[in-house]
Parts: sequence; C-alpha cells; structure tokens
Amino acid sequence: MRRVGGAHRGLDMWLFQRASAVYMALFIPVFAVCALAVDTMDHETWRGLFAPVWMKVASLLFVVSLLSHAWIGLREIFIDYVHCARCVWPRLVLYFIFAVLYLGCLVWAIDILWSVQ
Amino acid sequence: MKFRIYRYDPESGQGMANSPRMQDYELDYDPQGKKVLDALIAIKDTLDESLSFRRSCREGVCGSDGVNVNGTNVLACITPLEGLKEPIEIRPLPRLGVIRDLIVDMAQFYQHYRAVKPYLINLDPEPENERLQSPADRAELDGLWECILCGCCTTSCPSFWWNPDKFLGPAALMQGYRFIADSRDQATDERLDYLEDPYRLFRCHGIMNCVEVCPKGLNPTAAIGKIKTLLVKRAL
Repeated sequence: MRRVGGAHRGLDMWLFQRASAVYMALFIPVFAVCALAVDTMDHETWRGLFAPVWMKVASLLFVVSLLSHAWIGLREIFIDYVHCARCVWPRLVLYFIFAVLYLGCLVWAIDILWSVQ
Repeated sequence: MKFRIYRYDPESGQGMANSPRMQDYELDYDPQGKKVLDALIAIKDTLDESLSFRRSCREGVCGSDGVNVNGTNVLACITPLEGLKEPIEIRPLPRLGVIRDLIVDMAQFYQHYRAVKPYLINLDPEPENERLQSPADRAELDGLWECILCGCCTTSCPSFWWNPDKFLGPAALMQGYRFIADSRDQATDERLDYLEDPYRLFRCHGIMNCVEVCPKGLNPTAAIGKIKTLLVKRAL
C-alpha cells in the first residue's frame, strides 16, 4: 500500500535539538559566572562548585542536553551521508553504538556529579 | 574573453570522445553591458554551433537558463559579464543529470514540485467570479509566488546533493509553503502531513545557499522556517 503522508517524525527531534541548545546557552554563562566568582580556583573550590544539589541537577541537565544534542546531530549526519542500497542496518548499528556510548557517558556523569559531597 | 565550458554529449559515440570535458573558447567580445547568455549565444553563433544550452526569454523571467558560472548558480541572461574572473567557467547546474552540455534533466526537480501539489485546493463551490482575499492575506504570498522554478536554489543545496530523491529541496518547499500560506487553500493539514518527514523537510539544515543564489532575491530558508513553525504550532 502506498503511504501518502509524511513519516510524522523529525519534528520532535528538531525541536528537542533546539531546546537543548537553549538550555546549554543559558547554563554555560551562569556556570561561568559561578566559576569566576570564586577567588582562587583549586581542586577544592572546583569540587565545592558542584556540592549544592541545584548545581548537580543543573549540570546533569546540561550533560543530558549536550548528549541528546550531539546524538540528534549525529543522526542527521548519518541520514545525510550514510548511503547505500540497504542502509537500514548500518544506520541502525551506528545509532545504537552512539546511543549506548552516550548513555554510558550520562551514567558516568551522574556517578561523577553525585560522588561530590 | 576566455571561457571554459562544460561539454558532454552522451549520444556522440563511445570511449574518450564521449566523456565530459571542459572546452576553452576565446571570444573577441566587449563585455560592456553584456550578460553571460549573450556570450554563450555569440560562441554558438561564431565559434561552435554544437554548444547546447537552454534559453528562452533572455530577461530572467522564464528560468530556463540556470547554469553554474565560476562556481555559483545563476541565470545566464541576467548575470553581467563584467567583473567575472577569466576564464569564465560555465557548467550545468550541479547534481542533475546532463542531457547535453549545459542542458540538465529537470525531471527530479519537477517531481518534487509536483509532490507539494502546487495548486489551490478548495472544495467549496466555485464563486461567481473569483475567490476573494484580503490585502493582508494576499501580502502573505509576496516573496513566494515570484519563484520561476529555475532550479538554481535546489541544485546549490548540499542537502539536495546528498538526498536528491527524498529531500524536496528549497524550490519545492517554498512552493509548498506558498499554498500553505494561501488563505483560500483548505488543505493545510494534508500539506503539513506530507511535509512532516525526516527527509522531505527536515534535511534542510539552514545552509542558506538557496538564499544566496536565488536570482529573484527570494528566501526559501525563511519559507522552510515558517513551515517548521506551523508544524510546531500544530503539534503543541
């Protein structure tokens, strides 16, 4: 049967990529101000920055934004450039590899952030 | 003036003679006030009658003489010769199949154009005279209806180069929006349904080559942005 409509996909990812960009654009200056406000930057003060729960949550959201932004961007690149007669498998494998990699990064980031007391 | 022009005639025979090549021409020509198309016609008249290219109105209205001059898609008839770096390199529009020399196969381009249903869909009974529109509604169509379908934008778009069979390209998308924006059209939802697709619409990454090359000074990227805005409005 012919499918006449669009795939009804793409909008959610497109929108989410923009939303994640907005969050990163807001977080980075705020974090920079926090980081520059301290007198001397050493390991202790750097750890101290991440001690409050709000900073842990804000940083984690930043990591989520960064990783999802990057994954959607990679997906765009794969759609653009990974071409062949039977591309579904290579593309799915690529999506999968990077999804696992980025999810691993996310878990790792949670571990790092919540290891700071 | 020195010219370097893409030559290819698939029907000319086999072997090396049949492969695409760049041919040099030297034309004794005063570029003052002349356009690229004038030079092409002069070359065909005086140097090489086998040189093939499309042209019709020779004043930027018909859109048949889109070519790539020194790396930029232009309409040959409205591009001044003066100021072009020599040798002036003239090639067919990129990414489309070459039928002969500067003549490209526009079938793919027109297929995408057809796909957006570039005509008014209105199921109401036809009125006595015409379907009326307020001046403000009519103004929505400015910057959209002027497209002459020369193909300069679509063939300069890298997203079209990578997915020419699936990505509709700036020209077709802008014509799609031209009917979405039309207050008399009743098929907005169906049109948006058709466009909401990772390939058809969302291959556009805002590279904006289309805006840079459009000989009519139109802005397909803005039209595509408006389609995306409507999709977001519809989804939320």
